Amino acid sequence: MGKENEYKEIFLAEAQEGHEELNNLFTELEKDINSKSAINSIFRITHTLKGNAMGMGFTEIAELSHVMEDVFNEVKSSRLHLDSAIFSSLFKANDILGQLINSLNTGEVVKYKGIKTKLEVLLKNAKASEIVSEDTVKVVETTLTETITQVSQTEITTTNTVLETIEDTDEDDSIEQKIVLSDVVQVPVRKLDALLNIIGELIIEKDTLVALNIERGYQSTDLARLHRITSDLQYGVMDVRLVQIGFLFNKFHRVLRDVAVIENKKVDLVLEGTEIEIDRNILKIMSDSLVHLVRNSVSHGIESPQKRLERGKPETGKVTLRASNEKDTVFIEVRDDGNGIDLNVIKRKAVEKGLISADYAKVISDDEIMMLLFEPGFSNAEKITEVSGRGVGMDVVRGSVESIGGKITIETELGKGSVFTLSLPSSMAVKGALLFELNNQSFAIALTHTEAVISLRKEDIHKISTGLISKYLGKTISIVFLNDLFRMRNMHQTVEEGAFHKTFENIKEDQKLDVVIVAYNKHLVGFVVDKLMQQKEIVEKALESPVQNVELFSGATILGDGNICLVLDVAGILKNLFKEKMNAKIEI
Amino acid sequence: METTTEYTIEDVKRDAGKEVAKREHSERMQLIIFKLGSEEYGLSIEQIKEVVLTPRIAKMPQTPEHIKGVANIRGNIIAIMDLEQKFGLMKSGSLENNNNSNYTLVVESEEYKVGVLVKEVPNTLSINVSDIDTASNFVQYTSLDTNSVIGVVKSGERMIILIDMIKLIEAENLKETLTK
Repeated sequence: MGKENEYKEIFLAEAQEGHEELNNLFTELEKDINSKSAINSIFRITHTLKGNAMGMGFTEIAELSHVMEDVFNEVKSSRLHLDSAIFSSLFKANDILGQLINSLNTGEVVKYKGIKTKLEVLLKNAKASEIVSEDTVKVVETTLTETITQVSQTEITTTNTVLETIEDTDEDDSIEQKIVLSDVVQVPVRKLDALLNIIGELIIEKDTLVALNIERGYQSTDLARLHRITSDLQYGVMDVRLVQIGFLFNKFHRVLRDVAVIENKKVDLVLEGTEIEIDRNILKIMSDSLVHLVRNSVSHGIESPQKRLERGKPETGKVTLRASNEKDTVFIEVRDDGNGIDLNVIKRKAVEKGLISADYAKVISDDEIMMLLFEPGFSNAEKITEVSGRGVGMDVVRGSVESIGGKITIETELGKGSVFTLSLPSSMAVKGALLFELNNQSFAIALTHTEAVISLRKEDIHKISTGLISKYLGKTISIVFLNDLFRMRNMHQTVEEGAFHKTFENIKEDQKLDVVIVAYNKHLVGFVVDKLMQQKEIVEKALESPVQNVELFSGATILGDGNICLVLDVAGILKNLFKEKMNAKIEI
Repeated sequence: METTTEYTIEDVKRDAGKEVAKREHSERMQLIIFKLGSEEYGLSIEQIKEVVLTPRIAKMPQTPEHIKGVANIRGNIIAIMDLEQKFGLMKSGSLENNNNSNYTLVVESEEYKVGVLVKEVPNTLSINVSDIDTASNFVQYTSLDTNSVIGVVKSGERMIILIDMIKLIEAENLKETLTK
């Protein structure tokens, strides 16, 4: 289905719902003509309907609802008194409105000018007494956008069919009442979550069946149909959970404005790629982090108007939120054309705060300096302002990105600006993983962290004091025998002398070693495993008490044969390895 | 059933009173009994969801020795504990029995779910709550946290050590966070 059609479908569903609600509200109002809540609701609905219809280019609906809105604007400010004649016109108008909405599907021509004029005459009479004030409209408009964003936060619209009956109206007009079938239903996210969980279990069951089948000597193609159906089902449900990133991006106009006002800066927000789709839950987890990044861009990135002019930049700064996707990854960029990040300042701060030693600061690479920004306890804010003194640090941002298997990177150029890029999975439930074997047990590494798979010989690996190194594409990388890591009682032992030499010393010269190169924060490490196995889509489950805090693993999955496969927490392990190293250097 | 027609509100009250008194005197408790080392241990049946044949356990590096790993029990990924090891009950010659933990008790509360290895099919036993000697009278044994031992039950010749698995897991978690 094309985007145009999808929007039309959503519009139709909302319009029909609004139309039905209007019927009810008119009825309610007729019984109690002083019901403020009914009047306000009617005003709100007609206003939304008008806006939506204008956006979609449905002029007839827009015109009619516009007049109805005007009428209620008068009613609201008590300039128009409701009587039975007006009610009959209103009911009539609403019926016509309903017909107009339906005609979008049927293509039927509906005459609406008559009732429109009738309402306009009513208005003119009322207006003769006073002139409408614009203020009320504006107030309602802002509360309205708030309501809309709130709704989009908690609910996803899904395309489906449901039977909705319209309430009978008291009016026994000549117009036939029909039962209207809405083409859209709203579904609470938790129901979708539950559904996706069940599908996760189904996939595991399917894998079990496939494994069993192969064991019995059948062809793996025998279950191809089952495989296809389960994966269609899975992607179907995942697709339903996707929302357009614009839902979130659009909220940032306000966020940006507020920070800009506090900081006395001039900033424009540019949104790009708002049509990119992403899992609603991921969006929810990321929203706080994005708020933080955008605030940072304004408060630390963008310079004051005077400074910008001095530097020959336009007075108004620019913050760009840009989304793009590549396969299953969605990239969100927060880009500013401000000051950029001064690496020397960061380095100095890190030494001051004891994050790195002064000796290490002399040899530290630029990339590594940048990563210090994400260390807990590092805050580059020179001054504590309302904006930056919030306690949510960059370490929290990194934490939430990584909690869903994503990555965050920074590019910066002093004087020109910075870009923070979040690479996020577009869907959370299923991830690609590389399986390997170690000591006859299966483990998995998420593909998002896997850089390459290579094969090395003992002679390719060299011993240095703290561990092992080798070359990969001309770069020096650390090599870790996972076996050594797994034999340790805890991560603190990684700094013990020769901790990473043990397995290496016992292998034969000509033995071929399977190595998975993993990447995290621009650190590359080769994990030596016993045997590489296939690539597979897995449903990762979190580990529960009392093993929930094991640093090596982020979760586990159940394989087709019913065995458990632990999923390596690459981010956690590498973070630990490199942090431990930094500390070790300080001790020397 | 009596066929008394005159059953007044006073009778109801009196009967209810009797019922309460009876319950207070002899509140029963259903236990699951299993052997650890050479001693008998008991868990309240309410803490146990089921007893299953021990499934294949995936070993988990960098965990304490008494955590044997995780296993797939009916689609749930559950940590498996060896209480013999935790309580230090297997020092003398029990090595040959090491791989003989045939059954797993699945302990479940709202928050926690763990498996406990046992060698033989566990039995059940019904006791009077009043028969429990509460733990406050014992010397505190470091690896067996006082809170997780409810007490000792004597049933004829048998002596059963009653433990609270949920408290035990909680203590375990606390220790883990403290050592971090």
